[in-house]
Amino acid sequence: MTTTDNAAASDSAPTSLEQAVTTTDPVVLGRVWGFGGMTAVLLGAVAGLLVGLERLDLGSADVFGSADEVFQFWSAHRVAFVLLGVLPALMALATTVVPRQCSGPLVFPRAAAMACWTWLIGAGMTVVGFLVDGGLGTPGGGGQREATALTVMGLLLAIGGLLLASVCVMTTIVSGRPAGTGLRDLPYTAWTTLVGATVWTGMLGVLAANAVLAYVDLRGRPAVRFGAEDAIWEQLSWMFTHPAIYVLALPVLGIALDLVSSVTRTEQSNRDVVLVATAAFGFLSFGAFAQTFFDTPGTPIAEEAISVVAAFAIVPVTLAIVGGLADTLRRGAANLGSKPPAEAVCSLLAALLVLAATAVGAVRVIAPLELLDSSVTGAHFALVLGAVVLGVGAGFHHWGEELVGPKGRRPGLFLLGGLAVAGGTVLVGVADLVSGLLDQADFTGVDLATAGNPDSGVGGLNLVSMVGSVVLLAGLGLWMLTGSLHTAANRKGAA
Amino acid sequence: MATTVPAAPTRPRTLVVASAFGTGSVVMYFGCLFALYFSIRHDAMAWGTQWYPEGAIQLVPGGMNMSTMAMSAITMGWAVHAVINDDRIHAMIAMALTAVLGIAMVNQTVFYFKDIGLPIDASEAATLLFTIVGSHMVMVAVGVLWLGLLLLRALGGQDTSRHRDLVSAAALYWYASVAVYSVIWVGIYIAK
Repeated sequence: MTTTDNAAASDSAPTSLEQAVTTTDPVVLGRVWGFGGMTAVLLGAVAGLLVGLERLDLGSADVFGSADEVFQFWSAHRVAFVLLGVLPALMALATTVVPRQCSGPLVFPRAAAMACWTWLIGAGMTVVGFLVDGGLGTPGGGGQREATALTVMGLLLAIGGLLLASVCVMTTIVSGRPAGTGLRDLPYTAWTTLVGATVWTGMLGVLAANAVLAYVDLRGRPAVRFGAEDAIWEQLSWMFTHPAIYVLALPVLGIALDLVSSVTRTEQSNRDVVLVATAAFGFLSFGAFAQTFFDTPGTPIAEEAISVVAAFAIVPVTLAIVGGLADTLRRGAANLGSKPPAEAVCSLLAALLVLAATAVGAVRVIAPLELLDSSVTGAHFALVLGAVVLGVGAGFHHWGEELVGPKGRRPGLFLLGGLAVAGGTVLVGVADLVSGLLDQADFTGVDLATAGNPDSGVGGLNLVSMVGSVVLLAGLGLWMLTGSLHTAANRKGAA
Repeated sequence: MATTVPAAPTRPRTLVVASAFGTGSVVMYFGCLFALYFSIRHDAMAWGTQWYPEGAIQLVPGGMNMSTMAMSAITMGWAVHAVINDDRIHAMIAMALTAVLGIAMVNQTVFYFKDIGLPIDASEAATLLFTIVGSHMVMVAVGVLWLGLLLLRALGGQDTSRHRDLVSAAALYWYASVAVYSVIWVGIYIAK
């Protein structure tokens, strides 16, 4: 090699930014998914806290200027948790851990990279759309049309990115595992990711159709129906409620099964039963049919037999999975020692929260109680999503060495954050559950009529719920600190 | 990591599996639009409301497009068969024909939409019509681009039976686009 060659080579050496953007390394992509997702969860928790502050006085607007502004943050909280937060965070584990569990590389690494950056750009557009008075419509039509269009377009990009990444992960599991290894032989995280990704790939396609229809009707002229400001959220809201949100909990149950089996050094008994139960859990979490906006005269879809049976059937299915988990824990308890690993504690708490959430989901559909539009729906959302965040965090901690590096792990700080996330979730879930039983509406707006004219006792419960949001936020903050310290220690080590 | 299975040779047909998953999601997309279309149409009919203005939807353009798509399904099958048999010339002719038929379908749909005299904001039916048929046009356009890439690769020599997954994956997607159009033809153009 000549001097000129050397000079040319050094001139064309990519910068760290170029390397980050052009890389197809699943670990780097996993970090983008993970950091981006957990940041969105943090932002969603902040939005939830602000709405919680507004709910302290149901009769007036204190934090926000109008009911429409409350609605924008209320809907942003749910979108940030599901599409911008938890699902991408799950994708971080799906693109890094799952391929290794299948003993192969992630297939289509360039497509996976494109998916990651497409999602990130879409997530950025969605956040900006919400911040510039857009969002997914408002009940009073007080949002900016162009900003709403930007939000919908951002959401479509985010959905596209998630879909493409899911296809890469599913193909890796189905086609990338070694010949002779059946789907039954896969670790639970890979198996539940396959089932979950199959279900959410179908649902995201449907959600994209809803969003495209709203976007087409929204642009350029008065909306006919689908793009009306007060109609967009209701068309998309099925993705953020029962039963669709259960699909997010499925990989978390898989993570818990793997973690407990790993830390107790005990094989799961009745493996086929657990596999069937997790598949049934995925089947019951398909929620694209539950589109309340398109209810026809007669029984609303949320009160139809299919919705009610699904809400009740998922409880024993979850019980079977958690029972399997408890059995492994019982048989391997002697191997745990006096200090069980932090991630095992968090994943077990996550599984218990999922079980509690399914019970709340079943109570919610009991027709005489009329809880569908009450804050029991919010309690259900908080419990499921809190469980998922907790489980994903446990997964990040357990496989942290592979994602970030071996140095700088802080299990104590992580456990403290995990307990705060679990505690905050329980506080929000229980307070909102009781508030719902006292007739408080899911979306409370800024006047008592919108809030459902609830009993006076909800004031104290809303305060408890707000405290829960603060504790949850503190836990997430601790986790972000733990992750940053872990990353910094390994960067320093590498340097 | 919890448990890891030992490494061994990987399974084939990765592209076809990925195409099946991706196409499945696209089919779910259209499934949603069709469900909404037929549900809202059923309600409108039940209330005695006019769904489309008289004469707005012509049978001929839809029928022509359907026959174009049906022919393209045959040429796509021809391409797969030719690639399996290492028949380079026929594979390229078949893929080019399929792409041309796809372009013809898009061209005819655009012409019809310009001629239809039914604004997109005329009614819910019109909005749904433009969304469904427009989305299908995008689906076909993506298929044409995919076929264009395959043709380029075929010109580069990757058109043997060793690379048949490239064509099989595209064929799966293309057949799905034909199937989706058949629902549009029956549900929208014929049933109106």
